[in-house]
Order: sequence, then structure tokens, then C-alpha cells
Amino acid sequence: MLEIRWHSRAGQGAVTGAKGLADVISTTGKQVQAFAFYGSAKRGAAMTAYNRVDDKVIMNHEKYMEPDYVFVIDPALVFTSDVTVNHKENTKYIITTHMSTDELVKVQPKLVGKEIYTVDCITIANETIGRPIPNTPMLGAFMKISGMYDIEFFKESMKRVLGKLPQKIIDANMFAIQRAYDEVK
Amino acid sequence: MAFDKMELKDVEVWDGNYAAAQALRQAQVDVVAAYPITPSTPIVEGYAKFTADGYVEGEFVMVESEHAAMSACIGAAAAGGRVATATSSQGYALMVETLYQASGMRLPIVLNVVNRALAAPLNVNGDHSDMYLGRDSGWIQLDAFSPQEAYDLNLIAFKVCEDHEIRLPCMVHQDGFMTSHTAQGVNTLSDDAAYGFVGEYKPMNDMLDFEHPVTHGVQTEEDWHFEHKARQHNDLMTKVIPKIQAAFNDFEKLSGRKYNIVERYDMDDADVCVVCMGTSVETAREVALEMRAKGIKAGVVGLRVIRPFPFFEIAEALRGVKSIAVLDRSSPNGAAGMLFNEIAGALYNADTKALLSGYIYGLGGRDLTKKHLVDLFNELQANADAGKVTTKLQQFIGVRGPKLAYL
Amino acid sequence: MAKKGWDEFEIGAMLRTFDGKIDDIAGTRQEDRAYSQNSSYTASVSDWRLIKPVFNKDYCIDCQFCWVYCPDVSIISRDKKLVGVDMDHCKGCGICVEVCPTNPKSLLMFPEQAEEETVIANWPKKDEEEA
Repeated sequence: MLEIRWHSRAGQGAVTGAKGLADVISTTGKQVQAFAFYGSAKRGAAMTAYNRVDDKVIMNHEKYMEPDYVFVIDPALVFTSDVTVNHKENTKYIITTHMSTDELVKVQPKLVGKEIYTVDCITIANETIGRPIPNTPMLGAFMKISGMYDIEFFKESMKRVLGKLPQKIIDANMFAIQRAYDEVK
Repeated sequence: MAFDKMELKDVEVWDGNYAAAQALRQAQVDVVAAYPITPSTPIVEGYAKFTADGYVEGEFVMVESEHAAMSACIGAAAAGGRVATATSSQGYALMVETLYQASGMRLPIVLNVVNRALAAPLNVNGDHSDMYLGRDSGWIQLDAFSPQEAYDLNLIAFKVCEDHEIRLPCMVHQDGFMTSHTAQGVNTLSDDAAYGFVGEYKPMNDMLDFEHPVTHGVQTEEDWHFEHKARQHNDLMTKVIPKIQAAFNDFEKLSGRKYNIVERYDMDDADVCVVCMGTSVETAREVALEMRAKGIKAGVVGLRVIRPFPFFEIAEALRGVKSIAVLDRSSPNGAAGMLFNEIAGALYNADTKALLSGYIYGLGGRDLTKKHLVDLFNELQANADAGKVTTKLQQFIGVRGPKLAYL
Repeated sequence: MAKKGWDEFEIGAMLRTFDGKIDDIAGTRQEDRAYSQNSSYTASVSDWRLIKPVFNKDYCIDCQFCWVYCPDVSIISRDKKLVGVDMDHCKGCGICVEVCPTNPKSLLMFPEQAEEETVIANWPKKDEEEA
């Protein structure tokens, strides 16, 4: 069982990202689950989304999760939310920030001793897609860190997931995924 | 046919809402009248989009309240169409008056109820309070534990409720957010296979049959009302469960997916078991397997059919178990839980000597964790070992503050 | 209607207006329709009436107001001309008289026992003040 928790703001596309990831993984024969905590969330409110991946049908519907990966797709949430809650010893973090990993750990002591990777998904999204929607770049970074799939296979799969969008937007998302893949450290 | 077909992958990643909307599309529902409410909104939204995009030859009617939504569905069903809608919580509560109209008029409407808590305090998350409201309304109630089942049971619902021997409306329940907004792999049927299973709608006493004019919704006072209600109850008690079983059998032949009136998991040699509904059934199944690895013979019973209540099937499923926990996800507000009472009733005259205890859990979407269920199974084993219920009959799971227990 | 058991009638709160199939219902006059026992057409409510409407065709302008407003569909109109009142279904509510716009009115209420010929012979004259 692979478990992922997303920290996001409502409107940044964490749910779409989680479902998109689940969709891609599902095509490889794995069982997937993607869900979120909404409450009566307003655009901009902090929220979490979740992925579970397994070889057998996922029957666990508890919301409690000790994640293998934590994705933080908004730079402020690493300070305003506890992104380390329910962590495991080997939980990996991919965090959106303009800072380097060392700089980030210095200003957020909770991250000391943890496996942290950083990538500026917001800037990447702004410069490629033209809007601060950091969900697809995060998935590009995840492909690099996890080595889950070949990046070309992943991009092809995401093209299908994003199928209904205009070609220009799809192309921009592909650039964003590739940039995050290349830039995550 | 004047609509487009949709190519689906064998496995689509859908949440429960989208799975239900796809089933409504594949059943080619003629009319959906709706007043959208969280968390059921995407079902009717999905149908509306499919209609607008030319994938359904039907009509989406936006109305001004849930009471009006069900009223319009009743009108459309009496006129002779295949009809469905969806609602939750407060909207469902407002719909209750018309639920009795639909069933009493024997109109086979499919209502997707995405279970959500009832205010106050206001809460959009999943529990079974709304589902419990409709249990005397004369509808058939089917319960899905996952998005896959929300899809399958919608197709099955049309087939059962539109049958001329049945002609009763049917609710398909799924847990708000935990199923409705949780995307999982859903094995699909092709449009042709799904429609072939549901079958063409066969009208009965439809108002658009001008050669056989009928008056629907007549008044009967003390001289006839009781006979009508008795007839409805009789049909629910004697005809519906065999028809559901037949539909389950047909569906298994088509899809390979097997449903049962009462779902039993690891029950053959179980000493302790949990009886529950919704997503909790699946989580409990997973925990039961883990308990077995620890030497506790745990099993799970899930209610697939809530109404008509499977009295004998439940008693059969629980035969030989030593200690049973019944989980109610609705505050009984001054009584034992509904499910606890129903199970107790089904077992009272059975020859089981099982120890029965009830638990209230998960209100307003409060998480039911695997840890909770581990503790629960251990408690049941302690009851079985002691040969008596070692706790009070009614306890609360996962609520803050001092332990709550009654009876 | 004979009293039936719970298992002897059709399901649903539903009644059939006709036994069996009917053709061209819109083109068939009420009196020519083979209504079933369930239809209230065969049930007289004339005994509910204390006062009755009498129609005086001399003043009627065939405006159809009474036909439109009658809650019991008891105004008989043929080719858009008022020809009389269905006294089996009229309950004597007087709405037809209330809505009649002529002066004097073409419909007036009289005691149930009043003789139609007599009251028509003594019909009120035009009300000059109202005009």
C-alpha cells in the first residue's frame, strides 16, 4: 500500500491532481483511491487530499493515514498547517517553495531530519500554464522522486486525463510536469 | 436512437457520484427533476451535462426545492417515464412527504441518497441520519459500500423497481464524501450491455396513454386507505426480495460481480462479528482479516438491502456467532439504534444465543478508523470469552470526553 | 361498489375512468362516453343542492364565463353555446351566477323546488342603475 497526502488550498487543484494520479496509476492495473477533506471549504481555505495505491482492491475507508509521501503544493502551508502530522519514519516530503531545501528546513524546524525535496511549483505553473495551479507540476516532481513511471509514459497518460482541455493548456501542463521533474531537488 | 454512445475504459477511476451519474446515463433516464444539494450535486449535474452534450435523450428539470423535485419526479413517473433524481440530508428531509406519495402511487423512481448528517449543527459530511428518515416510507432501500457498488446498484435498482410485479420506488444509498467523493477503480459495462440489463422502460397505468385514461393520486379515507397500505406492505414483504435476488443473479451473469441480500464476509466460522452499513463494511472487512491473523475469528455482515428488511437472511447470517456488535451511524436520540433494534428483532425468535451490543459512531463524518475497529473486535472477543456482554448495551465510538454508554 | 379485499384491486392510488380501451376521447361528448363505475360521472350529487341555477337563454351572450368557472364541469356547452346545466353534478354553489356578466344575469339561483317556467316568466328586468 502506497499512501499520499496532499496539502493544498481549495482551488489549487489537489483533488484534480489526486484523481488524475489515480487515473494514471489505474491504467497500469493497480487499485487506487483518491479522496479529500472538504468541509464547507471556500476557495483559498487549507485542505487535504489523499491517494492510496495497492495491488488488491482498497477496502480501507478510514480518513486516518500515515503517508508515505506528503505533497505540499502551496508554499505557505508548510508554516500554517502541520504537514508532518501522522508521519512515519520514512515519510518523504515534496514541498512547493522558492527556497532551497536547506533554507526551508532552517525556517521550519519541524522538517529537520526528514526526507525533504523542494520544487517551486507555483512559479513553474505561472510561467507555463499562466495560472498558479501547482497540481500537475507536483506530479512531475513525484515521478522524479519516486521513480514510479518513466516521465514520458506519465506525460502521455496525463494528456489523456486532461483530454477535454484545449490543446494549448495540455501542452502547457506537459511543460510544467517536465520542468518540475527536472527541477525538483 | 437520437443520442451518442460513450466509449468507456474497462476500469474507470470514478467517484461514487460520477459512477451513479454514468448509470443514469446508461439507463437512458427520461426525466431527472432535481434541486442540487451537497454531497449529491454531481449526480444530477452529471446527468444534466450528459443530456446537454447529447448522450441522453431526456430532460433535466431544475426545480425550486427538494419537495418540488420529488413532486416533479412523481408527475413524470405517473406520465410514464423512467425517472431518477438525487438528494442528501436537509433536502432529503424536505422530500420525505413526497416519498410516501411516490411509493403509495407505486411509481418506480430511483432516488440516489448520498448520505449526510442532519442539522443542527449544520454539517455536510457523511452519516446515516438521512437514510434512517426514509425507512418507513415504503421505498426499497439498497446500500452501496463503494463507488463500484453505487454504479452497479443504480442499474439493478431500475430493473427491480420498474418490474410490473413490483412498481415501487427505490433508493440507492452511498456514504457522503467517503463514497461520493472518493475516486476508485470502477469496472464498467458498455452502454449496450448496461441498457440491455436495465431493459426498455415498460409503462404501466401511464397518464400519457390516452386510450386508457387514469386518475393518479386519488383520495381514500378510512374505508380504503388501509387496504392500499396493506397491499404495499405485502408486496414489500413478499415480492421484492426475490426480485432483487433475481436481479443480482442476472447481474452476476453479466458482470461477474456478485451481490447478496445480506453480505457476509468471513462469517462461516466467525465467533465475533460487526453488522454495519456503507463504507464501514469494507473497512471492517479489512480489520476482520487482520484480527484473524491475530487469532480472533472475526467476521462482518453488511446490509445490502435495508428495506425491505431482510429479517430471515440476517438471522441466517448471524447463526452460530457468539458476540455481535451492531453499528448505527445515526444518533437514535433517546433509544437504542435503529439497526440494533432491527437485528435484535430478527434474532429474538431465532435459536441463536449471541450476545448483542450496539455502538453509535461516525456522526457528521467522524472517521471510523481501523484502530477503533480493532478495539471493537477485542471487546467482542472479551464478551464471547465472558459469556455475557461486559459493557453497557449502547456505547459510543470516537466521541470526545468521558466515555458514553447507556442501557 | 362492492367491497373488495386488499389483494383485489389494481396497485397504486389510481382509478380508471373507463373500462378497457377508448378511442377519440377528445371527440366524444360526455353523455356518449362509457364511463366506468369509478368515474364520478355516474355518481349524482344533485341531492347536495339547496338552491339551483336556472338558465335564461334570452339574455345569454355565450361568453362561456360560467363554463370556465364551474368547479364541477356542470355547464353544458355545445359549439360554444350554452345549452343548459348538468343537474346531476351541479351542487348549487352559484359561481356561474356570480361570474355572469349580462344585465340582467342569464343565470340566477332559485330554491330547488322553484318551477323553471315560472321563474323565467318572472325574470328580473334590466338594472338601470347598474348600467
